[in-house]
Amino acid sequence: MKKIEVLVGILICILFLGNAHAVDPIKIGAIFSLSGPAAAIGTPTKLVTQMVVEKINKEGGINGRPIELVLGDTESDPTKAIMVVKKFINVDKVAAIIGPDRTDLGMAVKKLVEDAGVPTFMTVGGDPVIMGGGPLGTYKWVFKSPQRSSVAVEKLYDHLQKANLKKVALMTAADGFGKDGKGWLEKFAPKYGLTIVANESFNPKDTDMTAQLSKLSSANPDAIVCWTIGPAAAIVAKNVKQLGLKEPLFQCHGIPDPNYVELAGASAEGSVMPSTKLMAWEQLPDSDPQKKVIKDFVHLYNDVQKINKEFPINTHSGYAWDAIYVVADAMKKSGVEPEKLRDAIEQTKGYVGISGIYNLTPEDHNGLGTDSMIMVRVKDGKWELLQ
Amino acid sequence: MDHLAQFIVAGLTTGSIYALIALGFCVIHNATGIVNFAQGDFISLGGLVIFTLLMGLKVPLIIAFPISVIAVTIVGALLERVAIRPARSRSIVILVFITIGASIFMRGVFKILWGKNQMGLPPFSGETPINFAGATLMPQNLWIFGITLISVIGLHFFFSRTRLGKAMRATACNPRAASLMGVNVNSMVLLSFALSGALGAIAGIIIVPITTLSFDIGVMLGLKGFAAAVLGGYGNSLGAVLGGLLLGVLESVGAGVISSTYKDVIAFGILLLVLFIKPSGLLGRGDTERL
Repeated sequence: MKKIEVLVGILICILFLGNAHAVDPIKIGAIFSLSGPAAAIGTPTKLVTQMVVEKINKEGGINGRPIELVLGDTESDPTKAIMVVKKFINVDKVAAIIGPDRTDLGMAVKKLVEDAGVPTFMTVGGDPVIMGGGPLGTYKWVFKSPQRSSVAVEKLYDHLQKANLKKVALMTAADGFGKDGKGWLEKFAPKYGLTIVANESFNPKDTDMTAQLSKLSSANPDAIVCWTIGPAAAIVAKNVKQLGLKEPLFQCHGIPDPNYVELAGASAEGSVMPSTKLMAWEQLPDSDPQKKVIKDFVHLYNDVQKINKEFPINTHSGYAWDAIYVVADAMKKSGVEPEKLRDAIEQTKGYVGISGIYNLTPEDHNGLGTDSMIMVRVKDGKWELLQ
Repeated sequence: MDHLAQFIVAGLTTGSIYALIALGFCVIHNATGIVNFAQGDFISLGGLVIFTLLMGLKVPLIIAFPISVIAVTIVGALLERVAIRPARSRSIVILVFITIGASIFMRGVFKILWGKNQMGLPPFSGETPINFAGATLMPQNLWIFGITLISVIGLHFFFSRTRLGKAMRATACNPRAASLMGVNVNSMVLLSFALSGALGAIAGIIIVPITTLSFDIGVMLGLKGFAAAVLGGYGNSLGAVLGGLLLGVLESVGAGVISSTYKDVIAFGILLLVLFIKPSGLLGRGDTERL
């Protein structure tokens, strides 16, 4: 009996002590694709999110209040994404939302968070989530951390212009991402003095693109620009080598990923693409303010959490880190009241992140320019920084 | 038009794979009358098993190939024993739904065992392109043509020359009569699942060096193979081969000559046209003599 009484006593003490010290946590909803076709993108993003939140909480949280993550799975399905976000807003009453991770999912939940007024920092590639007008609606509450596709296009075109490659052949995927890229590629070509001499598209699930590539090469371009994410890019690289095409191959900013080299093998050699600094951070000059931040990130990712065992670092790995840090910094300044938090996020200036130095404004809900990107080339299976 | 040879080579390569997959559909259809929706997952499994053997366990290709085929054959047979047969149903709807469930289950297991990442496999013999009649092909294309040809000839020989093959055809034609003649119909159904597992595995193994590999690589290929089988006349093996090659060439020539954006529309438009004019498919004849 005695033992039980003592135990109960201890329990009561712990409960009271716990209560006395418990601070109300701040709830942040995190929604990523943990299953379904986009799972290979969503799963590491979730792991990075947990890693950052753990780091922030260890360092004292938001002015003493810890962050509590509420996780949700989109199952790569827009309908499921809407259900999760509704739950975040109505049941969990989260202060902010991180994610989702794919453009179509982002567009599905955009109206919901705009109507409810919840600051939402997405990690999607496509620009429409932070564009307004007409069918796109408003973008008062939606932010995104990856560079805009348009920024990547300008970075790439700038490189082509300097390399004096004037005639461009486009090879774009027939999905949302590819079409978005194609639009920007066509729009910016005149600005950089480039001519688009041929234009082909492919289904990202296709297994052979030699037909399109043969057609492109008959237009005698100086460069082939491929705009797609996933394994299709590797197949394009293989087919270019198979056909013996001499034109250099340029890929989009979604491709800098060790997986591309793994899938395309020797055919990946020589591919050039815009990337975040994460892919070649060791080659950056020490004067680059991002170098230290990236070093810390890589250390946590590889050595502490060992996420690289299943998901080696790629160009996307830092997006969730930046999204959460910008939101957390804004919370430290202005608290969690939605309007004030949104305004504080919009006033973020000079945040040094993994993917760039963010300068947000009420009009620019991304805050990254072409200077946040580098050009990289695959050399001996590694990523070489181009000047 | 100057790249026509290239388009045809590309089309025949993908077409050979479609043909192998379509054959897998036919074999099961003829034994049970059902569409096996897990066919695509046999393809994925073939690729995944050989990936583990080659890259993980460093087994030489010559040994890894048959082991992978046998492994998937066993999985095919298991599918029949643990899912199809216990249902004790001849109702086509029930059996088809069981295969859909099995497909989702298998994909889930693959995802747990092999993860969600894309994987790559080196080609069987080098990456030096070969020039042939104005087209460039990779050695892997030749492997695909060769192995598909051997599989088709082997299957034809099996069905027309061996007792077992003839018994399977008898079951396809009339299960009740076959059973009265002493053919064990259950064994024939089991054999058909095993055989289509083997065909799926072969398709998966030879295509993966070209396409890259993930746990759900077979889904889209399975769909195209199914379309090829319908085009050729569902259940007819010669039709399956013809349908597969035709679909592959249509896609590729459509993309190269007309418009790459509408290449699937062109291929499937022609499929619809064929079915409007001849609903039983190119070589479909009716219920008997399908194999």
